[in-house]
Amino acid sequence: MTSTNSGRYEQLIKDYQTEYRPQREWSEGRGFFLILGHFLVGVAAGAWLFGLFFQDKISLLAGFVLAGLGGLAHLANLARPERFILMMLRTATSWVSRGFWGLTLFLIGSVIYLPSLMFSDTFWQSDSVIADVGVVFSIAGSIIMMAYMGFVYTASKAIAFWNSTLHPVLYISYALRGGAAAHLLSLAFQGEAVSGGSDILIFWIAVTVTVIVLWIFEIQGALTSGEEAAVHSVHDILAGRLALYFYVGILLIGLFVPVFLMAGIIAPLSPTLFALIGLTSVAGDFFMKFSSIKAGVFSPVRLYSGNNRRATRRRKI
Amino acid sequence: MRWGMVIDLKRCIGCYGCQLSCKAENGTPPGVFFARVHKQEEGQYPTAQTTFLPVLCNHCDDPPCVDVCPTGASFVWEDDGIVDIDADKCVGCRSCMMACPYSQRFLNDDPQNYYGDQGATPYEQARVERHQTGVVMKCNFCRDRVRNGQDPACVENCPTIARYFGDLDNPNSEVSRLIRERSGFPLHPEKGTNPNVYYLPA
Repeated sequence: MTSTNSGRYEQLIKDYQTEYRPQREWSEGRGFFLILGHFLVGVAAGAWLFGLFFQDKISLLAGFVLAGLGGLAHLANLARPERFILMMLRTATSWVSRGFWGLTLFLIGSVIYLPSLMFSDTFWQSDSVIADVGVVFSIAGSIIMMAYMGFVYTASKAIAFWNSTLHPVLYISYALRGGAAAHLLSLAFQGEAVSGGSDILIFWIAVTVTVIVLWIFEIQGALTSGEEAAVHSVHDILAGRLALYFYVGILLIGLFVPVFLMAGIIAPLSPTLFALIGLTSVAGDFFMKFSSIKAGVFSPVRLYSGNNRRATRRRKI
Repeated sequence: MRWGMVIDLKRCIGCYGCQLSCKAENGTPPGVFFARVHKQEEGQYPTAQTTFLPVLCNHCDDPPCVDVCPTGASFVWEDDGIVDIDADKCVGCRSCMMACPYSQRFLNDDPQNYYGDQGATPYEQARVERHQTGVVMKCNFCRDRVRNGQDPACVENCPTIARYFGDLDNPNSEVSRLIRERSGFPLHPEKGTNPNVYYLPA
């Protein structure tokens, strides 16, 4: 074996010797691109919806670019990216396939709609039928993009921590929070933060409270689910290998710093401050997705005899 | 017809014969184990004991790995219920690995061999030709052998005859009889996958 492959093999053997084998396929190596992809398309969908609502070209453009990058990250996650077109085949049962369609719809819709805003003299007008079709496609794609990620994790039966039915709602909320943050950045870029940002700040606070409540419910659900693997994942996040990401990345950077800045304690609200709020919020969202995906551990394969559960401890393969 | 397997935990001595014969039959690369044997400790001194739990793909009637596959690469053979993978369709997204409650799917990532710098042996070279890289692999009950009237390699090579293979749809088959008479049970029925691999209590 080459040294890389040898290392991976040794890691696998070591993982098999543990009670709760951490999932590495979707968080390490090329798997990191899946986390990145889910993060990017979530923010992209949110930014696009905010851009449409406020008719903000920068947010729309950011949504389009981030979605494109998110799509590339998804491709980088595949071991056989050249076969990506086959992923359109199983929408009846597969959320990955549905997500692929969502991203495709979004990109088609945004490619149709954006020229009407940016170059209306050259292309069609923004109130034309063609532009409306683009808007419908892009909104449908955005909604699918926001929702599909949570369902992908919920369908992963081997990872008890992800099986929560709240996961899709949490991911939708995170996408909206990311969209609000992206719109704040856009306003800051345009120097309109103070005048146009207060509504967004209120929305950001509302969706952040929603995320916190959903997160607490999810943690509580995992702790009371009776699944030891889910409890182990929660422990990993709150007091284990991912605690640093949780306390520094999610709580400090993603929550306390934006709230601190928002309260105007350091300085009066300004475009720079709005940009900082947007950036820290988005960074917190990334750490949130990173830690919850990384926290996934496989439920141990154990022997059950009728209703008599026999707890066992795995030693080696 | 619905192929299934019964593993008698009273007979299993944890010799890893199934694991090795599977590797020999399928030529799986390092890190890929279609047939694993979990060695486990139960209880506490002075009543502690070691048990063995052979695990393989359970060829479920409701396989979550097939549902989540975005390309249709994971599928169920309609004529015998075996869950299989069409390597030509697999994109290597690993969704199925996250969905399998038995952790019985493996990504054949890069060409690998067991002997480091010595390079691949002729046997391994032949094996590499049989398997695509960048795709997920799994047990298919040695379907080629079964279609030729043979048992899967792990069944045929078990020295203690702890493994039985047969048609679960036939109430008179040996596997059906063993499950009925010796209270055979599947792994993790709470996952709702309706496995076709059963265990007889030790």
